[in-house]
Amino acid sequence: MITFIPPRLRKPAGIALAGAVFAAAWLVRGGPLWWVSILAVIAAAARAVSWYRMGGEDTDEGALAASRADERQKLLSLRSRALACNLAAAAAFIGLTTAIAVKAGWWWPFLVILVVTGFGYLLGLSNYGIAEEGTPDDDADAGQPRRSPVQR
Amino acid sequence: MRNRLREQRTQRGLSQAELAAALGVSRQTVISIESGRYLPSLPLAFTIARFFDLTVDKMFDPDDEEAGA
Repeated sequence: MITFIPPRLRKPAGIALAGAVFAAAWLVRGGPLWWVSILAVIAAAARAVSWYRMGGEDTDEGALAASRADERQKLLSLRSRALACNLAAAAAFIGLTTAIAVKAGWWWPFLVILVVTGFGYLLGLSNYGIAEEGTPDDDADAGQPRRSPVQR
Repeated sequence: MRNRLREQRTQRGLSQAELAAALGVSRQTVISIESGRYLPSLPLAFTIARFFDLTVDKMFDPDDEEAGA
């Protein structure tokens, strides 16, 4: 579905959608703070417009914002995401150990973040084929009995 | 690893933006490759070499790095 959206609109549309979902959550919650949903919509709209404008710039950030990044820019983005994930996992570990030490009841969100980041890493290893190295021998050795290199 | 991208580009009178458009990458990536801050992928290295009618080992020289190290 995303391929039908022009590249420059993809990230702004994602931001707008996330803002709409966040605003809907405040509306569903109800109560005296329902007006936060209006703030959320305004903030998301402003952010989406700023990303769209950034997409028109001839910079690395503009290329990423407009979904027209080349291989170097995609690598930059990937490294930044990896750094963000490492920092999130480290912060979650610090939070978890601190919560345990002070006998607080808010330890479990940190554990959830640690589990999700750890599971995501394992999922990545699985998806990107770390276990698909193939057979160790090439065709030249096929059918030959295995011998130790030290045996004569 | 050194490369001859800047030398070849200027010999042909191309700007960085023109070369970037011809290679299908951004101007910033051409600048990064020329300055040696970014090593292109193998497909992009072949694209660059073919664009200048050179082989990859003529365009990118790993020996220069070893000599400088």
